[in-house]
Amino acid sequence: MDTYFLMQLINGLSVGMIYALIAIGFTLIFGVLNVVNFAHGEMYTIGAFAGLVCINMIHAPLAIIIVAALVAGGLSGIGLERIAFKPFRRFQDEASLKSRAMREATLLSSLAVSIIIKEVIQHFFGAEMQTIPGQYMLNNPIQVGPLSLSSGQFLILGSSILMLGGLQYVLYHTRIGLSIRAISNNPLGAKYVGLSVDKTIISTFAVGSMLGGAAGIMVGLYYGAIFPTMGFTPSIKAFVAMVMGGLSSIPGAVICSLILGVCESLATNYLTQGWSDMVAYSFLIVTLIFFPQGIFGSRRERV
Amino acid sequence: MPILEVSDLQVTMGPQQILRGVNLKVEQNGIVAVMGSNGVGKTTLMRAISNIYQISGGDIIFERDSISNLGADKVVKMGVCQAPEGRQIFANMSVEENLVLGAYHQDKSHFNEDLEWVFELFPILKERLKQQAGAMSGGEQQMLCIGRALMGRPKLLLMDEPSLGLAPLVVKSIFDLVVKIRDAGTAILIVEQNAKAALCVADYGYIMEGGAIILEGPSEELAKDDRLTAAYMGGHAHA
Ligand SMILES: Nc1ncnc2c1ncn2[C@@H]1O[C@H](COP(=O)(O)OP(=O)(O)OP(=O)(O)O)[C@@H](O)[C@H]1O
Ligand SMILES: [Mg+2]
Repeated sequence: MDTYFLMQLINGLSVGMIYALIAIGFTLIFGVLNVVNFAHGEMYTIGAFAGLVCINMIHAPLAIIIVAALVAGGLSGIGLERIAFKPFRRFQDEASLKSRAMREATLLSSLAVSIIIKEVIQHFFGAEMQTIPGQYMLNNPIQVGPLSLSSGQFLILGSSILMLGGLQYVLYHTRIGLSIRAISNNPLGAKYVGLSVDKTIISTFAVGSMLGGAAGIMVGLYYGAIFPTMGFTPSIKAFVAMVMGGLSSIPGAVICSLILGVCESLATNYLTQGWSDMVAYSFLIVTLIFFPQGIFGSRRERV
Repeated sequence: MPILEVSDLQVTMGPQQILRGVNLKVEQNGIVAVMGSNGVGKTTLMRAISNIYQISGGDIIFERDSISNLGADKVVKMGVCQAPEGRQIFANMSVEENLVLGAYHQDKSHFNEDLEWVFELFPILKERLKQQAGAMSGGEQQMLCIGRALMGRPKLLLMDEPSLGLAPLVVKSIFDLVVKIRDAGTAILIVEQNAKAALCVADYGYIMEGGAIILEGPSEELAKDDRLTAAYMGGHAHA
Protein backbone atom coordinates (compact mmCIF):
# COMPACT_ATOMS: atom_id res chain seq x y z
CA MET A 1 0.00 0.00 0.00
CA ASP A 2 2.82 2.36 0.85
CA THR A 3 4.64 1.73 -2.40
CA TYR A 4 1.38 2.19 -4.24
CA PHE A 5 0.89 5.53 -2.52
CA LEU A 6 4.43 6.57 -3.43
CA MET A 7 3.94 5.58 -7.05
CA GLN A 8 0.73 7.59 -7.23
CA LEU A 9 2.56 10.50 -5.69
CA ILE A 10 5.31 10.39 -8.31
CA ASN A 11 2.73 10.00 -11.03
CA GLY A 12 0.83 12.97 -9.63
CA LEU A 13 3.96 15.08 -9.57
CA SER A 14 4.73 14.35 -13.21
CA VAL A 15 1.16 15.15 -14.24
CA GLY A 16 1.39 18.28 -12.09
CA MET A 17 4.59 19.32 -13.83
CA ILE A 18 2.75 19.19 -17.15
CA TYR A 19 0.05 21.43 -15.74
CA ALA A 20 2.79 23.68 -14.41
CA LEU A 21 4.45 24.07 -17.81
CA ILE A 22 1.12 25.12 -19.30
CA ALA A 23 0.16 27.28 -16.33
CA ILE A 24 3.41 29.23 -16.58
CA GLY A 25 2.48 30.36 -20.08
CA PHE A 26 -0.94 31.49 -18.89
CA THR A 27 0.64 33.30 -15.96
CA LEU A 28 3.37 35.04 -17.96
CA ILE A 29 0.88 36.26 -20.53
CA PHE A 30 -1.58 37.32 -17.87
CA GLY A 31 1.25 39.21 -16.20
CA VAL A 32 2.17 41.38 -19.17
CA LEU A 33 -1.27 41.81 -20.75
CA ASN A 34 -3.76 41.12 -17.97
CA VAL A 35 -5.71 38.85 -20.28
CA VAL A 36 -6.31 35.12 -20.47
CA ASN A 37 -5.10 33.52 -23.65
CA PHE A 38 -7.74 31.03 -24.71
CA ALA A 39 -5.57 29.61 -27.47
CA HIS A 40 -2.86 28.56 -25.04
CA GLY A 41 -4.02 24.93 -25.02
CA GLU A 42 -3.47 24.81 -28.78
CA MET A 43 0.22 25.58 -28.29
CA TYR A 44 0.35 22.31 -26.39
CA THR A 45 -1.41 20.52 -29.24
CA ILE A 46 0.87 22.12 -31.82
CA GLY A 47 3.92 21.01 -29.86
CA ALA A 48 2.65 17.45 -29.87
CA PHE A 49 1.87 17.45 -33.58
CA ALA A 50 5.20 19.04 -34.46
CA GLY A 51 6.91 16.22 -32.58
CA LEU A 52 4.72 13.68 -34.35
CA VAL A 53 5.66 15.07 -37.75
CA CYS A 54 9.34 14.78 -36.84
CA ILE A 55 8.81 11.17 -35.84
CA ASN A 56 6.97 10.24 -39.00
CA MET A 57 9.04 12.19 -41.49
CA ILE A 58 12.59 11.93 -40.27
CA HIS A 59 12.51 9.40 -37.42
CA ALA A 60 14.30 11.96 -35.30
CA PRO A 61 15.77 11.11 -31.90
CA LEU A 62 13.88 12.20 -28.80
CA ALA A 63 15.99 15.29 -28.11
CA ILE A 64 15.31 16.65 -31.60
CA ILE A 65 11.60 15.93 -31.21
CA ILE A 66 11.46 17.97 -28.05
CA VAL A 67 13.39 20.81 -29.66
CA ALA A 68 10.95 20.72 -32.57
CA ALA A 69 8.04 20.97 -30.15
CA LEU A 70 9.69 23.92 -28.39
CA VAL A 71 10.34 25.73 -31.66
CA ALA A 72 6.88 25.03 -33.06
CA GLY A 73 5.30 26.20 -29.81
CA GLY A 74 7.40 29.36 -29.74
CA LEU A 75 6.68 30.29 -33.35
CA SER A 76 2.97 29.62 -32.99
CA GLY A 77 2.95 31.77 -29.87
CA ILE A 78 4.46 34.64 -31.83
CA GLY A 79 1.93 34.19 -34.63
CA LEU A 80 -0.91 33.99 -32.17
CA GLU A 81 0.12 37.24 -30.54
CA ARG A 82 0.31 39.05 -33.88
CA ILE A 83 -3.10 37.81 -34.99
CA ALA A 84 -5.19 37.74 -31.84
CA PHE A 85 -3.63 40.26 -29.45
CA LYS A 86 -1.61 42.94 -31.25
CA PRO A 87 -4.56 44.43 -33.16
CA PHE A 88 -6.28 45.24 -29.89
CA ARG A 89 -3.35 47.13 -28.49
CA ARG A 90 -3.44 50.66 -29.79
CA PHE A 91 -3.06 52.05 -26.32
CA GLN A 92 -2.87 55.73 -25.69
CA ASP A 93 -2.80 55.50 -21.90
CA GLU A 94 -2.47 53.22 -18.92
CA ALA A 95 -6.18 52.59 -18.75
CA SER A 96 -6.54 50.99 -22.17
CA LEU A 97 -3.50 48.74 -21.78
CA LYS A 98 -5.32 46.96 -19.00
CA SER A 99 -8.81 47.86 -20.04
CA ARG A 100 -11.86 45.73 -19.96
CA ALA A 101 -12.82 46.23 -23.58
CA MET A 102 -9.46 44.98 -24.74
CA ARG A 103 -9.64 42.03 -22.39
CA GLU A 104 -12.99 40.97 -23.74
CA ALA A 105 -11.97 41.47 -27.34
CA THR A 106 -8.88 39.30 -26.97
CA LEU A 107 -10.82 36.61 -25.16
CA LEU A 108 -12.87 36.21 -28.31
CA SER A 109 -10.05 36.63 -30.78
CA SER A 110 -7.90 34.05 -29.00
CA LEU A 111 -10.86 31.71 -28.78
CA ALA A 112 -11.36 32.11 -32.52
CA VAL A 113 -7.72 31.33 -33.22
CA SER A 114 -7.97 28.31 -30.97
CA ILE A 115 -10.92 26.95 -32.96
CA ILE A 116 -9.18 27.60 -36.26
CA ILE A 117 -6.03 25.79 -35.12
CA LYS A 118 -8.04 22.77 -34.03
CA GLU A 119 -9.93 22.71 -37.33
CA VAL A 120 -6.78 23.00 -39.40
CA ILE A 121 -5.04 20.21 -37.52
CA GLN A 122 -8.13 18.06 -37.83
CA HIS A 123 -8.28 18.76 -41.55
CA PHE A 124 -4.73 17.49 -42.10
CA PHE A 125 -4.46 14.73 -39.51
CA GLY A 126 -8.03 13.70 -38.84
CA ALA A 127 -9.89 13.85 -35.55
CA GLU A 128 -8.84 10.44 -34.31
CA MET A 129 -5.92 9.52 -32.12
CA GLN A 130 -2.60 9.38 -33.95
CA THR A 131 -0.55 6.23 -33.92
CA ILE A 132 2.89 6.62 -32.46
CA PRO A 133 5.59 4.09 -33.38
CA GLY A 134 6.20 1.83 -30.39
CA GLN A 135 9.87 2.67 -29.96
CA TYR A 136 8.97 6.34 -29.35
CA MET A 137 6.52 5.64 -26.56
CA LEU A 138 7.81 6.67 -23.18
CA ASN A 139 6.35 3.85 -21.15
CA ASN A 140 9.34 1.59 -20.63
CA PRO A 141 9.07 0.32 -17.10
CA ILE A 142 11.89 1.35 -14.78
CA GLN A 143 12.16 -0.44 -11.48
CA VAL A 144 13.42 1.70 -8.59
CA GLY A 145 13.51 -0.55 -5.52
CA PRO A 146 9.93 -1.60 -4.97
CA LEU A 147 8.57 1.16 -7.21
CA SER A 148 7.75 0.46 -10.81
CA LEU A 149 7.96 3.76 -12.63
CA SER A 150 8.17 4.56 -16.31
CA SER A 151 10.67 6.35 -18.49
CA GLY A 152 8.05 8.99 -19.33
CA GLN A 153 7.77 10.05 -15.72
CA PHE A 154 11.50 10.54 -15.52
CA LEU A 155 11.56 12.47 -18.76
CA ILE A 156 8.67 14.69 -17.71
CA LEU A 157 10.02 15.40 -14.23
CA GLY A 158 13.60 15.85 -15.42
CA SER A 159 12.93 18.11 -18.37
CA SER A 160 10.29 20.15 -16.57
CA ILE A 161 12.72 20.91 -13.78
CA LEU A 162 15.28 21.87 -16.40
CA MET A 163 12.82 24.14 -18.14
CA LEU A 164 11.71 25.73 -14.87
CA GLY A 165 15.37 26.41 -14.13
CA GLY A 166 15.81 27.87 -17.60
CA LEU A 167 12.77 30.07 -17.15
CA GLN A 168 14.05 31.31 -13.81
CA TYR A 169 17.34 32.14 -15.47
CA VAL A 170 15.64 34.01 -18.30
CA LEU A 171 13.41 35.97 -15.93
CA TYR A 172 16.08 36.98 -13.44
CA HIS A 173 19.33 37.11 -15.39
CA THR A 174 18.55 38.39 -18.85
CA ARG A 175 17.46 41.72 -20.28
CA ILE A 176 14.35 40.28 -21.78
CA GLY A 177 13.42 38.71 -18.43
CA LEU A 178 13.93 42.03 -16.71
CA SER A 179 11.60 43.74 -19.16
CA ILE A 180 8.98 40.99 -18.85
CA ARG A 181 8.98 41.49 -15.08
CA ALA A 182 8.97 45.27 -15.40
CA ILE A 183 6.02 45.30 -17.78
CA SER A 184 4.10 42.87 -15.58
CA ASN A 185 4.72 45.21 -12.69
CA ASN A 186 3.98 48.55 -14.35
CA PRO A 187 3.41 48.78 -18.10
CA LEU A 188 3.27 52.56 -18.14
CA GLY A 189 6.43 52.85 -16.06
CA ALA A 190 8.06 50.49 -18.53
CA LYS A 191 7.30 52.87 -21.38
CA TYR A 192 8.82 55.75 -19.46
CA VAL A 193 12.13 53.93 -19.07
CA GLY A 194 12.06 53.10 -22.76
CA LEU A 195 11.30 49.39 -22.76
CA SER A 196 9.80 48.15 -25.98
CA VAL A 197 6.45 46.87 -24.79
CA ASP A 198 5.69 45.26 -28.12
CA LYS A 199 8.89 43.21 -28.33
CA THR A 200 8.53 42.12 -24.72
CA ILE A 201 4.99 40.92 -25.25
CA ILE A 202 6.10 38.86 -28.26
CA SER A 203 8.91 37.32 -26.24
CA THR A 204 6.51 36.49 -23.46
CA PHE A 205 4.24 34.65 -25.86
CA ALA A 206 7.24 32.86 -27.34
CA VAL A 207 8.56 31.71 -23.96
CA GLY A 208 5.16 30.69 -22.59
CA SER A 209 4.18 28.85 -25.75
CA MET A 210 7.50 27.00 -25.93
CA LEU A 211 6.89 25.51 -22.51
CA GLY A 212 3.34 24.60 -23.58
CA GLY A 213 4.60 22.95 -26.75
CA ALA A 214 7.16 20.89 -24.85
CA ALA A 215 4.49 19.76 -22.41
CA GLY A 216 2.33 18.62 -25.34
CA ILE A 217 4.88 16.32 -26.92
CA MET A 218 5.94 14.80 -23.60
CA VAL A 219 2.37 13.94 -22.69
CA GLY A 220 1.74 12.68 -26.21
CA LEU A 221 4.59 10.24 -26.05
CA TYR A 222 3.91 9.21 -22.46
CA TYR A 223 0.21 8.45 -22.84
CA GLY A 224 0.40 7.70 -26.56
CA ALA A 225 -2.43 10.12 -27.15
CA ILE A 226 -2.02 12.84 -29.74
CA PHE A 227 -5.22 14.31 -31.18
CA PRO A 228 -6.51 17.75 -32.23
CA THR A 229 -8.44 18.54 -29.05
CA MET A 230 -5.84 17.13 -26.64
CA GLY A 231 -5.03 20.62 -25.33
CA PHE A 232 -8.43 21.25 -23.84
CA THR A 233 -8.44 19.29 -20.56
CA PRO A 234 -4.86 19.99 -19.49
CA SER A 235 -5.20 23.67 -20.21
CA ILE A 236 -8.35 23.85 -18.10
CA LYS A 237 -6.39 22.25 -15.27
CA ALA A 238 -3.52 24.65 -15.79
CA PHE A 239 -5.96 27.53 -15.80
CA VAL A 240 -7.31 26.36 -12.46
CA ALA A 241 -3.78 26.19 -11.10
CA MET A 242 -3.08 29.71 -12.30
CA VAL A 243 -6.21 31.03 -10.59
CA MET A 244 -5.36 29.14 -7.40
CA GLY A 245 -1.84 30.53 -7.52
CA GLY A 246 -3.07 34.10 -7.66
CA LEU A 247 -3.09 34.77 -11.44
CA SER A 248 0.28 36.42 -11.79
CA SER A 249 2.55 34.41 -9.54
CA ILE A 250 4.74 31.82 -11.23
CA PRO A 251 5.76 30.02 -8.03
CA GLY A 252 2.09 30.04 -7.03
CA ALA A 253 1.06 28.52 -10.35
CA VAL A 254 3.75 25.82 -10.17
CA ILE A 255 2.96 24.81 -6.60
CA CYS A 256 -0.78 24.73 -7.28
CA SER A 257 -0.21 22.68 -10.44
CA LEU A 258 1.72 20.11 -8.42
CA ILE A 259 -0.94 20.04 -5.70
CA LEU A 260 -3.59 19.56 -8.36
CA GLY A 261 -1.67 16.78 -10.10
CA VAL A 262 -1.04 14.90 -6.88
CA CYS A 263 -4.63 15.26 -5.66
CA GLU A 264 -5.97 13.99 -8.95
CA SER A 265 -3.63 11.09 -8.96
CA LEU A 266 -4.49 10.10 -5.39
CA ALA A 267 -8.16 10.56 -6.13
CA THR A 268 -8.07 7.80 -8.72
CA ASN A 269 -7.85 5.45 -5.73
CA TYR A 270 -11.36 6.37 -4.80
CA LEU A 271 -12.95 7.69 -7.98
CA THR A 272 -13.05 6.51 -11.55
CA GLN A 273 -11.01 8.37 -14.17
CA GLY A 274 -13.80 10.67 -15.35
CA TRP A 275 -14.67 11.68 -11.83
CA SER A 276 -11.10 12.53 -10.92
CA ASP A 277 -11.41 15.49 -13.26
CA MET A 278 -13.88 16.83 -10.71
CA VAL A 279 -10.95 17.48 -8.39
CA ALA A 280 -9.78 20.40 -10.49
CA TYR A 281 -13.23 21.89 -10.85
CA SER A 282 -13.91 21.61 -7.13
CA PHE A 283 -10.59 23.31 -6.45
CA LEU A 284 -11.55 26.10 -8.80
CA ILE A 285 -14.89 26.67 -7.14
CA VAL A 286 -13.43 26.54 -3.65
CA THR A 287 -10.70 28.97 -4.66
CA LEU A 288 -13.06 31.41 -6.28
CA ILE A 289 -15.42 31.40 -3.32
CA PHE A 290 -13.00 31.41 -0.44
CA PHE A 291 -9.73 32.74 -1.87
CA PRO A 292 -10.60 35.15 -4.66
CA GLN A 293 -7.01 36.39 -4.66
CA GLY A 294 -5.56 32.91 -4.98
CA ILE A 295 -4.55 30.71 -2.10
CA PHE A 296 -1.23 32.45 -1.77
CA GLY A 297 -3.01 35.74 -1.24
CA SER A 298 -1.36 37.55 -4.08
CA ARG A 299 -1.66 41.30 -4.21
CA ARG A 300 -3.10 42.42 -7.43
CA GLU A 301 -6.01 41.44 -9.44
CA ARG A 302 -8.99 39.12 -9.62
CA VAL A 303 -10.47 37.42 -12.62
CA MET B 1 20.09 76.53 -30.58
CA PRO B 2 17.41 75.12 -28.26
CA ILE B 3 17.72 71.47 -27.24
CA LEU B 4 13.95 71.03 -27.43
CA GLU B 5 11.54 72.89 -29.60
CA VAL B 6 7.84 72.09 -29.56
CA SER B 7 5.82 73.78 -32.26
CA ASP B 8 2.06 73.91 -32.70
CA LEU B 9 1.69 70.62 -30.81
CA GLN B 10 -1.75 69.10 -30.89
CA VAL B 11 -3.05 66.02 -29.10
CA THR B 12 -6.54 64.60 -29.43
CA MET B 13 -8.11 61.89 -27.30
CA GLY B 14 -11.19 60.55 -29.03
CA PRO B 15 -13.42 63.53 -29.78
CA GLN B 16 -11.59 65.80 -27.36
CA GLN B 17 -8.71 68.04 -28.35
CA ILE B 18 -6.46 68.25 -25.30
CA LEU B 19 -3.55 70.27 -26.68
CA ARG B 20 -4.45 73.07 -29.10
CA GLY B 21 -1.15 74.11 -30.56
CA VAL B 22 1.50 74.38 -27.86
CA ASN B 23 4.76 76.17 -28.65
CA LEU B 24 7.71 76.05 -26.31
CA LYS B 25 11.50 75.92 -26.24
CA VAL B 26 14.08 74.61 -23.83
CA GLU B 27 17.56 76.02 -24.22
CA GLN B 28 20.69 73.96 -23.77
CA ASN B 29 21.40 74.00 -20.03
CA GLY B 30 18.11 75.71 -19.26
CA ILE B 31 15.46 75.06 -16.67
CA VAL B 32 12.03 75.74 -18.08
CA ALA B 33 8.83 75.58 -16.05
CA VAL B 34 5.34 74.89 -17.36
CA MET B 35 2.61 75.97 -14.98
CA GLY B 36 -1.15 75.81 -14.96
CA SER B 37 -4.02 74.48 -12.93
CA ASN B 38 -5.55 71.01 -12.98
CA GLY B 39 -6.53 69.50 -16.27
CA VAL B 40 -5.04 72.10 -18.62
CA GLY B 41 -2.93 69.50 -20.40
CA LYS B 42 0.49 69.69 -18.74
CA THR B 43 0.87 65.94 -18.32
CA THR B 44 -0.47 65.38 -21.81
CA LEU B 45 2.27 67.68 -23.11
CA MET B 46 4.93 65.73 -21.20
CA ARG B 47 3.58 62.41 -22.42
CA ALA B 48 3.49 63.63 -25.98
CA ILE B 49 7.15 64.67 -25.76
CA SER B 50 8.04 61.21 -24.42
CA ASN B 51 6.00 59.61 -27.20
CA ILE B 52 3.68 57.93 -24.72
CA TYR B 53 0.82 59.65 -26.52
CA GLN B 54 0.59 60.03 -30.24
CA ILE B 55 0.32 63.57 -31.45
CA SER B 56 -2.22 64.68 -34.00
CA GLY B 57 -0.41 67.75 -35.26
CA GLY B 58 2.67 69.93 -34.90
CA ASP B 59 6.21 68.79 -34.27
CA ILE B 60 8.71 68.04 -31.52
CA ILE B 61 12.31 68.78 -32.39
CA PHE B 62 15.08 67.46 -30.16
CA GLU B 63 18.62 68.51 -31.09
CA ARG B 64 17.54 69.33 -34.67
CA ASP B 65 15.73 66.01 -35.29
CA SER B 66 12.01 65.43 -35.11
CA ILE B 67 11.16 62.94 -32.37
CA SER B 68 7.41 63.19 -32.70
CA ASN B 69 6.93 59.73 -34.21
CA LEU B 70 9.86 57.74 -32.92
CA GLY B 71 8.25 55.61 -30.23
CA ALA B 72 8.84 55.89 -26.50
CA ASP B 73 11.88 53.59 -26.47
CA LYS B 74 13.83 55.52 -29.12
CA VAL B 75 13.15 58.81 -27.41
CA VAL B 76 14.67 57.52 -24.17
CA LYS B 77 17.61 56.14 -26.14
CA MET B 78 18.21 59.60 -27.59
CA GLY B 79 18.47 61.09 -24.11
CA VAL B 80 15.02 62.38 -23.24
CA CYS B 81 14.07 60.84 -19.89
CA GLN B 82 11.08 61.56 -17.73
CA ALA B 83 10.26 61.47 -14.04
CA PRO B 84 6.52 61.11 -14.69
CA GLU B 85 3.42 62.14 -12.84
CA GLY B 86 2.39 59.50 -10.32
CA ARG B 87 6.03 58.32 -10.26
CA GLN B 88 5.30 55.07 -12.11
CA ILE B 89 8.10 53.22 -10.37
CA PHE B 90 8.21 49.42 -10.38
CA ALA B 91 6.68 48.93 -6.96
CA ASN B 92 7.15 45.15 -6.73
CA MET B 93 10.80 45.31 -7.72
CA SER B 94 13.80 46.38 -5.71
CA VAL B 95 15.21 49.89 -5.72
CA GLU B 96 18.26 48.49 -7.46
CA GLU B 97 16.22 46.87 -10.23
CA ASN B 98 14.37 50.13 -10.75
CA LEU B 99 17.68 51.91 -11.28
CA VAL B 100 18.93 49.14 -13.57
CA LEU B 101 15.76 49.53 -15.62
CA GLY B 102 16.38 53.27 -15.83
CA ALA B 103 19.72 52.43 -17.44
CA TYR B 104 18.18 49.86 -19.79
CA HIS B 105 19.49 51.52 -22.95
CA GLN B 106 22.82 52.57 -21.47
CA ASP B 107 26.17 50.94 -21.84
CA LYS B 108 27.16 48.81 -18.83
CA SER B 109 30.57 50.48 -18.72
CA HIS B 110 29.33 53.69 -17.14
CA PHE B 111 26.61 52.12 -14.96
CA ASN B 112 28.59 52.44 -11.72
CA GLU B 113 29.57 56.00 -12.45
CA ASP B 114 25.94 56.97 -13.08
CA LEU B 115 24.84 55.09 -9.98
CA GLU B 116 27.35 57.05 -7.88
CA TRP B 117 25.92 60.28 -9.26
CA VAL B 118 22.40 59.23 -8.30
CA PHE B 119 23.61 58.26 -4.80
CA GLU B 120 25.32 61.61 -4.47
CA LEU B 121 22.00 63.34 -5.15
CA PHE B 122 19.88 60.88 -3.17
CA PRO B 123 22.00 59.15 -0.50
CA ILE B 124 18.90 57.46 0.89
CA LEU B 125 18.64 55.28 -2.22
CA LYS B 126 21.97 53.69 -1.44
CA GLU B 127 20.68 52.50 1.92
CA ARG B 128 17.45 51.24 0.39
CA LEU B 129 19.04 49.50 -2.58
CA LYS B 130 17.72 46.01 -1.81
CA GLN B 131 14.36 47.17 -0.52
CA GLN B 132 11.14 46.82 -2.44
CA ALA B 133 10.46 50.14 -4.14
CA GLY B 134 6.76 50.18 -3.26
CA ALA B 135 7.57 49.91 0.44
CA MET B 136 9.32 53.28 0.53
CA SER B 137 7.77 56.57 1.59
CA GLY B 138 6.29 58.90 -1.00
CA GLY B 139 9.27 61.24 -0.89
CA GLU B 140 11.71 58.37 -1.29
CA GLN B 141 9.71 57.04 -4.21
CA GLN B 142 9.90 60.46 -5.84
CA MET B 143 13.68 60.39 -5.40
CA LEU B 144 13.79 56.93 -6.93
CA CYS B 145 11.67 58.17 -9.80
CA ILE B 146 14.10 61.00 -10.52
CA GLY B 147 17.09 58.73 -9.93
CA ARG B 148 15.70 56.19 -12.37
CA ALA B 149 15.32 58.89 -15.02
CA LEU B 150 18.89 60.07 -14.40
CA MET B 151 20.21 56.53 -14.93
CA GLY B 152 19.19 56.98 -18.56
CA ARG B 153 21.84 59.74 -18.91
CA PRO B 154 19.33 62.35 -20.03
CA LYS B 155 20.36 65.35 -22.07
CA LEU B 156 16.85 66.59 -21.37
CA LEU B 157 15.06 65.65 -18.16
CA LEU B 158 11.29 66.01 -18.04
CA MET B 159 9.81 66.30 -14.56
CA ASP B 160 6.06 66.17 -14.06
CA GLU B 161 5.05 67.69 -10.72
CA PRO B 162 7.93 66.35 -8.65
CA SER B 163 6.63 68.24 -5.61
CA LEU B 164 3.16 66.69 -5.58
CA GLY B 165 2.19 65.44 -2.14
CA LEU B 166 5.56 66.12 -0.53
CA ALA B 167 6.31 68.05 2.65
CA PRO B 168 7.58 71.64 2.08
CA LEU B 169 11.05 70.75 3.29
CA VAL B 170 11.32 67.84 0.88
CA VAL B 171 9.99 70.03 -1.92
CA LYS B 172 12.76 72.51 -1.26
CA SER B 173 15.42 69.84 -1.35
CA ILE B 174 14.06 68.48 -4.62
CA PHE B 175 14.18 71.92 -6.21
CA ASP B 176 17.75 72.38 -4.96
CA LEU B 177 18.62 69.15 -6.71
CA VAL B 178 16.98 70.32 -9.92
CA VAL B 179 19.52 73.13 -10.05
CA LYS B 180 22.33 70.72 -9.25
CA ILE B 181 21.26 68.37 -12.05
CA ARG B 182 21.13 71.26 -14.50
CA ASP B 183 24.57 72.42 -13.42
CA ALA B 184 25.84 68.95 -14.24
CA GLY B 185 24.77 69.55 -17.84
CA THR B 186 21.18 68.36 -18.19
CA ALA B 187 18.48 70.63 -19.55
CA ILE B 188 15.25 70.43 -17.57
CA LEU B 189 11.60 70.89 -18.46
CA ILE B 190 9.54 70.88 -15.29
CA VAL B 191 5.77 70.91 -14.85
CA GLU B 192 4.53 72.45 -11.63
CA GLN B 193 1.39 73.76 -10.03
CA ASN B 194 3.52 75.29 -7.34
CA ALA B 195 4.41 78.29 -9.52
CA LYS B 196 6.30 80.14 -6.82
CA ALA B 197 8.71 77.28 -6.21
CA ALA B 198 9.09 76.55 -9.93
CA LEU B 199 9.88 80.16 -10.85
CA CYS B 200 12.58 80.25 -8.18
CA VAL B 201 14.65 77.70 -10.05
CA ALA B 202 13.50 78.12 -13.65
CA ASP B 203 14.98 80.66 -15.99
CA TYR B 204 11.96 80.72 -18.28
CA GLY B 205 8.31 79.92 -17.70
CA TYR B 206 5.15 79.14 -19.59
CA ILE B 207 1.58 79.34 -18.32
CA MET B 208 -0.90 76.90 -19.81
CA GLU B 209 -4.63 77.12 -19.95
CA GLY B 210 -7.13 75.04 -21.87
CA GLY B 211 -4.48 73.17 -23.82
CA ALA B 212 -2.50 76.18 -24.97
CA ILE B 213 0.19 78.53 -23.71
CA ILE B 214 -1.38 81.82 -22.65
CA LEU B 215 1.62 83.54 -21.14
CA GLU B 216 5.38 83.12 -21.23
CA GLY B 217 8.51 84.93 -20.24
CA PRO B 218 11.70 84.91 -18.18
CA SER B 219 11.03 83.82 -14.60
CA GLU B 220 11.66 87.20 -12.96
CA GLU B 221 9.18 88.89 -15.26
CA LEU B 222 6.57 86.17 -14.88
CA ALA B 223 6.88 86.26 -11.13
CA LYS B 224 5.97 89.94 -11.23
CA ASP B 225 3.14 89.55 -13.77
CA ASP B 226 -0.22 90.45 -12.29
CA ARG B 227 -2.11 87.83 -14.26
CA LEU B 228 0.08 85.09 -12.87
CA THR B 229 0.08 86.35 -9.33
CA ALA B 230 -3.67 86.60 -9.40
CA ALA B 231 -4.21 83.13 -10.74
CA TYR B 232 -1.49 81.01 -9.23
CA MET B 233 0.11 82.69 -6.29
CA GLY B 234 -2.85 84.26 -4.64
CA GLY B 235 -5.32 82.55 -2.38
CA HIS B 236 -5.41 79.45 -4.56
CA ALA B 237 -5.01 76.19 -2.70
CA HIS B 238 -2.68 73.78 -4.45
CA ALA B 239 -3.47 70.10 -4.69
N1 LIG C 1 -5.71 59.17 -22.03
C1 LIG C 1 -6.64 60.10 -21.95
N2 LIG C 1 -7.88 59.87 -22.43
C2 LIG C 1 -8.83 60.81 -22.37
N3 LIG C 1 -8.65 62.02 -21.85
C3 LIG C 1 -7.46 62.33 -21.33
C4 LIG C 1 -6.38 61.39 -21.37
N4 LIG C 1 -5.30 61.97 -20.80
C5 LIG C 1 -5.70 63.19 -20.42
N5 LIG C 1 -6.98 63.42 -20.75
C6 LIG C 1 -7.73 64.68 -20.49
O1 LIG C 1 -6.93 65.74 -20.89
C7 LIG C 1 -7.06 66.84 -20.01
C8 LIG C 1 -5.71 67.28 -19.53
O2 LIG C 1 -5.15 66.27 -18.72
P1 LIG C 1 -3.68 66.37 -18.13
O3 LIG C 1 -3.44 65.13 -17.33
O4 LIG C 1 -2.74 66.66 -19.22
O5 LIG C 1 -3.81 67.61 -17.17
P2 LIG C 1 -2.73 68.24 -16.20
O6 LIG C 1 -2.54 69.63 -16.64
O7 LIG C 1 -1.54 67.39 -16.10
O8 LIG C 1 -3.53 68.24 -14.83
P3 LIG C 1 -2.99 67.97 -13.34
O9 LIG C 1 -2.44 69.25 -12.86
O10 LIG C 1 -4.24 67.62 -12.60
O11 LIG C 1 -2.01 66.86 -13.40
C9 LIG C 1 -7.98 66.38 -18.89
O12 LIG C 1 -9.25 66.90 -19.15
C10 LIG C 1 -8.00 64.88 -19.01
O13 LIG C 1 -9.23 64.37 -18.64
MG1 LIG D 1 -0.63 66.35 -14.63
